[in-house]
Amino acid sequence: MDNINETVLEVLYSILPITVVITVLQFTIIWLPAEAFVQFLIGVLFVGIGLILFLIGVNVGLLPVGEMVGSALTKTKKLWVIILFGFLLGAVVTIAEPDVRVLSSQIDDVSGGAIPQSTLILAVALGVGIFVGLAMLRIIFKIRIVYLLAGGYGLIFLIAAFTPSHFVPISFDAGGVTTGPLTVPFVLALGVGVATVIRGKSASSDGFGLVGLASIGPILSVLILGVIYG
Amino acid sequence: MNLHIFEGFGQTMQEVAIALLPLAILFAIFHFIFLKLPIRKLLDIVIGFVLAFAGLSLFLQGVHIGFMPFGEQMGSVLGGLSYRWVLIPIGFVIGFFAIYAEPAVAVMVEQAEKVSGGYIPEKLLLYTLSIGVGISVSLSMVRLIYGFSLWYFIIPGYIIAFIMIRYAPKTFTSIAFDSGGVSTGPMTATFVLAMFTGIASQIEGRDPLLDGFGMVAMVALAPILSVLTLGILFSRKEKSQYASGASGAKAHYHDR
Repeated sequence: MDNINETVLEVLYSILPITVVITVLQFTIIWLPAEAFVQFLIGVLFVGIGLILFLIGVNVGLLPVGEMVGSALTKTKKLWVIILFGFLLGAVVTIAEPDVRVLSSQIDDVSGGAIPQSTLILAVALGVGIFVGLAMLRIIFKIRIVYLLAGGYGLIFLIAAFTPSHFVPISFDAGGVTTGPLTVPFVLALGVGVATVIRGKSASSDGFGLVGLASIGPILSVLILGVIYG
Repeated sequence: MNLHIFEGFGQTMQEVAIALLPLAILFAIFHFIFLKLPIRKLLDIVIGFVLAFAGLSLFLQGVHIGFMPFGEQMGSVLGGLSYRWVLIPIGFVIGFFAIYAEPAVAVMVEQAEKVSGGYIPEKLLLYTLSIGVGISVSLSMVRLIYGFSLWYFIIPGYIIAFIMIRYAPKTFTSIAFDSGGVSTGPMTATFVLAMFTGIASQIEGRDPLLDGFGMVAMVALAPILSVLTLGILFSRKEKSQYASGASGAKAHYHDR
């Protein structure tokens, strides 16, 4: 029960402040028709309840499995199994990530269907998957995170030179939204699971940096998508 | 009043079902190959999936019927104002409050306090982050109003970040880049983004695709820079303590 109260509060805290700012704007500067505003408030209600249910579901059923999978994987002691399933999990979780869905449907909308939602989601999922796989490698081989970050962003700026300009903002945004309410806890649980089995307790700090790496992947993959489309 | 609350809900549910299916299949494979969980655990997982399905459907429905249309309309009103400069302070307020209350940020801030052994108080980092993101969103407004390319912000931002990495302790680097994504909560990616594309559609010469997006990227940069700055301040303090021999025990913090 405690857990549920916490989730409810969490969701309220992340939704209410902006709702208040928007309400103030509505009645000072904007004055959109009441109908539109009521529709917005219903939207807030739906989003709030939806997020609460979603997070409870993630906590009850999805996260525990993430951790179990993390440690079960490592016990197989097979490098390719760990990396393959790290990749699969990263990709599959991203496909279900709410923020990614919203961003991609907005891009689909704004581009008038030129950049279809399903293509974009697949690209983002591939990107996250590959970088979660890389992050597993990093934990196993103790590669310094700075190298991966520098290499990743270096590559981003290199590829961006060949990408049509309207893909650039989209790709960076994709990198930001991947780290939503499902991916972050999931990827962290997986990483901590792997790190703990491989290197014992002291490894917990290896869990840091996973999320940062995971958000490089989609930037790269959407940029590459742009190169292909352009 | 003419409200469309459940318009397209069937389609949304279908979309969510497709979104969750791959995860469910992967779990099933795992269950049969590696885990072989007891029935009770399985039941929990099924309940979890059902809740996640219902929640995600409602969430997306709310975004489609409420956030996106209203955000866009609001954006077009704001973009059409004769005193457009007002967008810049509005951006700051939105950014500031979005972060200030964000639960994910609260977790991160607590973590940083722990890692720094209390040297970086939660409140200090929270205000630094909120102000940082506030500035990011108002800079995004500036970008939108005057049509600067995203590059002029992103390239210097990351160059500065990578220079700072050299001087900040290693743990801070990880936390900094992790927190980049944390700051973009459910409101930023949905409502604020719709508002930006709405504004872009109203200002002449702006392409919603080119200028409307990119805000999330700017928001993600702010925490990276703020956390690294605090990291550098922290390591300098550690060094001066080490030099004076006051706290030799903590010296391991600056091995990187």
